[in-house]
Amino acid sequence: MPEPTMTPEALERFLASAEPGRRASVTAFRAITGGYSRLSAVADVRWDDGGAERLVLRGDPPPGDGVFVSDRDSEWRILRALSGARSVPVARPRWYDATGEHFGTKCIVFDHFAGRTLQDVLRTAEDATAPGRMFVDTIAQIHDTPLDALGGAAEHPTSWDDYVDGVLELYRAVDREVADSSPVLRYAGALLARHRPPPVPFTLVHGDCQPSNVLVADSGRHVVIDWEFARIGDPREDLGYYTQIPMPPNVYHRDPQAFLARYRERTGLTEEQVNPGTVEYFLVIGMARLLAQILQALDAVSRGGTRGIMATYLINAVTHQYGLYLDVCRRVVA
Amino acid sequence: MISRPTTEQVLLDCCRVLEDDVLPAVADEPTQVRLVMLGKVLSNAAVRAAHEVAWMREEIGAIDAYARAVAATTASDDLRATLEALAAGPHDSLHLDDVVEVYVRASDVLSAALEAALADGHAEFVREGEALLAARLTHEDDVVGGWESAGR
Repeated sequence: MPEPTMTPEALERFLASAEPGRRASVTAFRAITGGYSRLSAVADVRWDDGGAERLVLRGDPPPGDGVFVSDRDSEWRILRALSGARSVPVARPRWYDATGEHFGTKCIVFDHFAGRTLQDVLRTAEDATAPGRMFVDTIAQIHDTPLDALGGAAEHPTSWDDYVDGVLELYRAVDREVADSSPVLRYAGALLARHRPPPVPFTLVHGDCQPSNVLVADSGRHVVIDWEFARIGDPREDLGYYTQIPMPPNVYHRDPQAFLARYRERTGLTEEQVNPGTVEYFLVIGMARLLAQILQALDAVSRGGTRGIMATYLINAVTHQYGLYLDVCRRVVA
Repeated sequence: MISRPTTEQVLLDCCRVLEDDVLPAVADEPTQVRLVMLGKVLSNAAVRAAHEVAWMREEIGAIDAYARAVAATTASDDLRATLEALAAGPHDSLHLDDVVEVYVRASDVLSAALEAALADGHAEFVREGEALLAARLTHEDDVVGGWESAGR
């Protein structure tokens, strides 16, 4: 596939192909930041029938560039399933350049959702209680999605023990694979395999669960975005993952007991299943795939490759994670 | 070779130029974020340049001593093999690639020693191993100086 060409001209050509009965002109177009993995842009489009709309484009960076790898086909399938199921609100997926024919990269085109991130709402709220509750309820909403609604969009793990073993083995595998060596990962993997929390039923897991991925309109309506790491797994992965998000305010850390009590109330899970101890266990599980990808990107750099500034910048994140993992291990041992 | 300014000082000066001169002149938002990340990477590299050889050498010695004590009371083939690999490393060289090679081998030793201590239920060795991990992370924290997730 050639270099990504997410440009106004490419969008006009794509829309002509997607909507053959009418013609679109792109009146504004700008790249946006926010996520750490995909290329994103916002475009204003005027149709020759008089209509106008704002769209969001989300494509892959050039092969070998960037750090995080995810499957755009899978994200498209999950988005389509969620959009149809209406179990959790998502920005409406409109079209998909599945081959990269038009944009030089696989690219999903969404309806633009006018709103602020929930993280921004939390940061600026005089009283963050209500937006904090909204976040907990949104997580519960994701986890309440009927798995049948996903159809074949995501793989269903066979057993809970095998699933956890597989994730812990990922740490061992990446430690074998890369040129550097990570004793914290090896230790955490060996220790946590010996201290398992009680299982819970599998659910849809967002995979990058944080208020920055919830957009809130002035009306209070909200959508959940960035589904690239969504999968079927243990719902506590999303809770654990959120605990390591560094941007303040962190709703969990402000009052872990209140956060978890509301989550349990919304999901029906028990305190034995969902408590600060199980949540931090699933920090290690929920971060595994992304941390492995960061380490693989750093390994590529150490072998003379380049993954852009993101890879070396994320050394900071690795250090952050290792500190958290060691804290988890110490509490498990104690 | 020119030794002053030191590598640390050179890199920190680059950070200042990036932050004070370059960044304010850039309007493109994604490029601004990349520049912030670049500044952070350079400041991390400055700390590493100043200390990493000394820190790694200190850790290597401590890990070796710890792992030999664990090996004396456990029967881990993996630990024995990694200790042999560590002993065969280029210990006499201070070139960074060689120091890193020995450090990576020592890290494998620490992993194997902790796994052996866990498998044998040897709580004291587990605590000592955790203390070595904590010392390593203290140095890593000194390099990083906090994680803020630029651009998000």
